[in-house]
Formats: sequence, structure tokens, C-alpha cells
Amino acid sequence: MKPLIEFRDLSKIYQMGETEVRAVDGMSMQIMPGEFVAIVGQSGSGKSTCMNIIGCLDVPTSGNYFLGGQDVGELDDDELAEIRNKMVGFIFQQYNLLPKLSVLGNVELPLLYAGLSKSERVEQATKVITKVGLADKINNLPSQLSGGQQQRVSVARALAGNPSVILADEPTGALDSKTGKEVLELLTKLHSEGNTVVLITHDNDIAGQAQRIIRLEDGHIIFNGTPDQEVTHI
Amino acid sequence: MNLFKSFQMAISNIWARKVRSLLTMLGIIIGVVAVIVIVGLGNGLEKYMVDSFKSMGTDLLTVNVVGRGSARTVSTEEMYELVDDYPEYLTSVSPQVPLGGKVKIGNEALSYTSVTGTGEDFMIMKKFSLESGRYIRYVDIDRRNNVAVVGAYINNEWFRGEALGKTLRINGQLFEIIGVLNAETDEIEEGGGDDAIYIPYSVAAKSAGVRNISSYVFGIANEDLVKESKQIIDDKLYDVFGDQDAYRIISLTELLSMMSSMVDIMITILAAIAGISLVVGGIGIMNIMLVSVSERTREIGIRKALGAKRHHILQQFVIEAATTSAIGGLIGIGLGYALSDLASKIIVVALEEEIVVAASTSAALGAFAISAFIGILFGYLPARKAARLNPIDALRYE
Repeated sequence: MKPLIEFRDLSKIYQMGETEVRAVDGMSMQIMPGEFVAIVGQSGSGKSTCMNIIGCLDVPTSGNYFLGGQDVGELDDDELAEIRNKMVGFIFQQYNLLPKLSVLGNVELPLLYAGLSKSERVEQATKVITKVGLADKINNLPSQLSGGQQQRVSVARALAGNPSVILADEPTGALDSKTGKEVLELLTKLHSEGNTVVLITHDNDIAGQAQRIIRLEDGHIIFNGTPDQEVTHI
Repeated sequence: MNLFKSFQMAISNIWARKVRSLLTMLGIIIGVVAVIVIVGLGNGLEKYMVDSFKSMGTDLLTVNVVGRGSARTVSTEEMYELVDDYPEYLTSVSPQVPLGGKVKIGNEALSYTSVTGTGEDFMIMKKFSLESGRYIRYVDIDRRNNVAVVGAYINNEWFRGEALGKTLRINGQLFEIIGVLNAETDEIEEGGGDDAIYIPYSVAAKSAGVRNISSYVFGIANEDLVKESKQIIDDKLYDVFGDQDAYRIISLTELLSMMSSMVDIMITILAAIAGISLVVGGIGIMNIMLVSVSERTREIGIRKALGAKRHHILQQFVIEAATTSAIGGLIGIGLGYALSDLASKIIVVALEEEIVVAASTSAALGAFAISAFIGILFGYLPARKAARLNPIDALRYE
């Protein structure tokens, strides 16, 4: 089986005035289809940069990033947008729902940019909204929903385009522990249904829910294995 | 994503910020209103001019002979011969002999009444019509009969509508009133077009002591032959005087077209100035769109993260700007028509003239097209800025 996500000696260097910041420094790793991986690290460890590159929001300075076998580093702005649209489902810490659009309108967005017709969009969006258990809120505005419900809308939006990878950036960061747990259970459920899930977090307890942990520090991978292994490792 | 969806989004965004959108549109609205009213006023003015010139006769040529101070002159007979020689161009001619002097009816003197000696065709050429009696005939001219045709003012004010058969005195000579004309102007007043007396030119010339009549009116077969007819008279007079300064041929049609083109130039300049406010309105739209792009940076980031390409974002903002501008244009057209109506009424009341401010469809369509174009033009820059936002920065934007 070919890896879905592969970093090959990948570096991302930011120029901060005079000094170079190596946010990710010569990193190599693979994520297989159907895996549930947590990328863990403290702030400044490079995990946000990893997430931006995996999500095709940014391109590496050097090295290669292959998503579904395609080298993403050579793509331009619009090609990256198309890859994000087709292959990546984002779940953000702050939900990032558009406040003026209904639940349906928000979930429809990726399908709109994919060029689906109105009826196809409504059908597919309704399906995923039902899946996250918000069928009765379909015409509500985000402001009329609780935080946990809003995050479930963003999960539905991530699922809508049937992407290759679901990329969740601190999905529970803005939620209380109870609703956070519910969202994590939802992600676990999605994984069990065959989706590839990549979770970015600083929280070891949350990372422990994943199949595999990739721990970062100063732009390097310091651990790559199952949660059990990590416990014994430490 | 199709245009219709972008348009829907634009409408909902404009509606969500009603006051701001209206203020943004204001520049465009004012510009469109100004263009429509000014062009309408120009059309009205031109129509008014054409109408008033038409009533004076655009199928006439007026010839004034100044002479050269020498013995050379052109006789009335020669002028009549021109009509006989070129019947396909010149249909009629009448001398015009203005007669200064006192007009008396009974013992009362009329100080503003104009007295003119004319030929027998003068009435038809000037499109006067008779209320009663008859006009001057050839026989009156030939025999120098002391007969007069009077205008409606004199008939109404001095004879209580029964002037026919009465008499009046011009420079002491007694004249019999043989005809009464219908009113020429809307307002019959002293010194106006209806305060006039017409007598045979032969009588007037004798009374004034004029040997050679210096002013003639020619009737032209039709208005398209003004140039040729003028040339015929010009050739004749040049033959006699050998000097173009010795006479002058005035055509109202030429005068009218000259004045029309002057009005056109004036209106074009005014409309262009009004058009500047459209540009100012466009800059207002650009300004607000830039603000809007900043405010919606996060939204743009989210949309880009979800797969919006540059052209999607560009299209969304350009259409929003164009829609704002076009709605402003439509409001402006509505107001422009309303204001044109109002202006027409005000002009009637204030100036007592019937100048209709006629808002033209072409001006309205033009103004609308320009406002939509300005929206696209000035919306493009902010839209491009939005389209080029880096999604990471945009997502981080608070």
C-alpha cells in the first residue's frame, strides 16, 4: 500500500527579519490511508507548520511533500485550492464557520467550489449533517448553536467533499471537556468507518486517543509510534 | 460556482449592510441623476429652440441689402424675377419695409406698435392667418392704397374685436383696416408679435422716403434647399454689387443648427462634469470594498481553505461592487426621471416657458451602463487584493 501522506526530508524556513526560523527541519514521515495519527507538540514545535503543509495551505521550502502520490510543492495557488477542495477536510479550533450562512450553507461551501449542482449539494450536505446528528438544526445560523454543535457542523463540512484526509487542528481546544470528548468520539467513529484522520494537538490525553503519535520538538520528530510504546519509551 | 450564485451572495451582503450600501451608492446615484437631468434639460432646450424657430419660419431666407454707397443697387423687380427664374427653389418673395412713426387710433397714440410694409405673399410666408377680412393684394401695392391689416392685439384692445372697416392713422395718413389677423403668440401683449400693422410695401416705402428697399423675405420650396436657394440669391447679389459685404442673407435653419450645436456642446460639457461624480462615486465604492475585504479577511481565508480559487473570490467581490453600483444606477435613473418631471414643472412656474426636461432612455441606459462599468472597474482592485490573500494569514486574522 502506498502512503497517503509522505514527507521526504521536508523543511520549512521562515525569514523573520535577519534570522532564519527552521519551523520544520528535514522531516520525513509517512501516513497510510485509514490511519488515525496525532501530531503532538508544544507551541513552537512546528506542528502548525506541519498542519499547514499537510493541508496544502503552504508549501515546503525544501524537500518534498506527496499527497496521494502527487508532489504538492510544484503546484500554484489555484492548484493547491483544488487539492484542498478535493482531498482535505479541515476542522479548525475556532470552528471557522461563516456566521451569515446557515448550517446547510456552511456545509455546502466545499461542494460549491467543487462545482456541484444545487440539488447535489443539498443532498450530500444533508447526508453529512444527519451523520453528525444536526439534521434538526439544518437551517439554523451558527450563532444559534452551542460550541459543540458548531464543531460538529465543521466536522460535517470537512466530511462533505468526501476528502482523502480529515485534518483536525486542536478540534477540542475551544470546548469544555465533555463536549470535547464527544467531538473526539465522533473523530474516532469516522476513523472506524475508514477515514484517514490527522489530529494536531498539544494535549497528550487527546493524542492518546489516536492509533499513532508523531511527537515534534523544534521542527524534528522525537517520537513516532503507538501511544503504548510512547509510555514505555518515556 | 456560477454567476447567479455570486450575484445572490452579493445581494445578501449588500442587504446585510443596508445603510453602508446606500451611502456607498450615493455617489453613483447623484452622478446618474445629474447626467439624466442635464441631458434631459439639454434635449428640452433644443426642442424649445427648434419649436420657436419653426414658428418664425425655417423655410424663409431674409435678405438685407446694405449697399456700397455707390449708385449700384438691386430693384424690387429684380428680386421678384429671381422667384420667376428659379421656381423649384424660391416660391415667393416679399419686401419688408419697417416704418417708424406714429400710429394713432382716434386721438390715442400707440407707441409700441410695429408698422411694416409687405408684399401680398407675406402673410402666407409668415404663416399668419386671417380672423376676418383680407390681406394686402397686388392691386393695393400697385395703386398704393392706404389699407392696413392689423394684429390681434390692436383688434382686441383698441376695437373690441371689431376693427374691420375702421380706420387708423399712420404718420397722419388715414388707413382703412381691411383685415384682422389671428393671434400669433400665446400672450397677446403690447409690443408683442400681435401688436403689429401691415401695409402695402409701396405705401410704406413712399411714406418713409425710401427709394430702394433693403430688406426682403424669400420663401423656399423646402427646408432641404436652404443652401442652394441661398446660393442663387447670393450669386444674383454678387453680380450686382461685386462685394459680399454689401448684403447679408440670413437663414434661420442655419442659425438654428448653429445654436443647436452650441447647446449640444454646452450639454456635453455639463454632462461630462456630472459624469465626474460617477467617477467619484466609483472611488467611494472602491474605498468601501477595500474596507469590506479587510473585514472579511477571515471569511476569505475560510473560503480559500475550503477550496475557493482566486477567480472565485475575485468574481465574488467584483460582482458585489458591480451590483452595488448598478443598484445605485437604477435608483439614480428612478430619481432622475422624477426630478426631470419636477424640473419641468418648476421651469413652467418660474420662467413661464414650456421647456420640458425630457429624460431620454438613451441617457438613462448610458448612465446605467457606465455605473455598472465603474463598479467593475473600481471593484477590481479590492477584489484582486482579496483573491491574493494568503489563506494562512487570512485564517489567523482576527
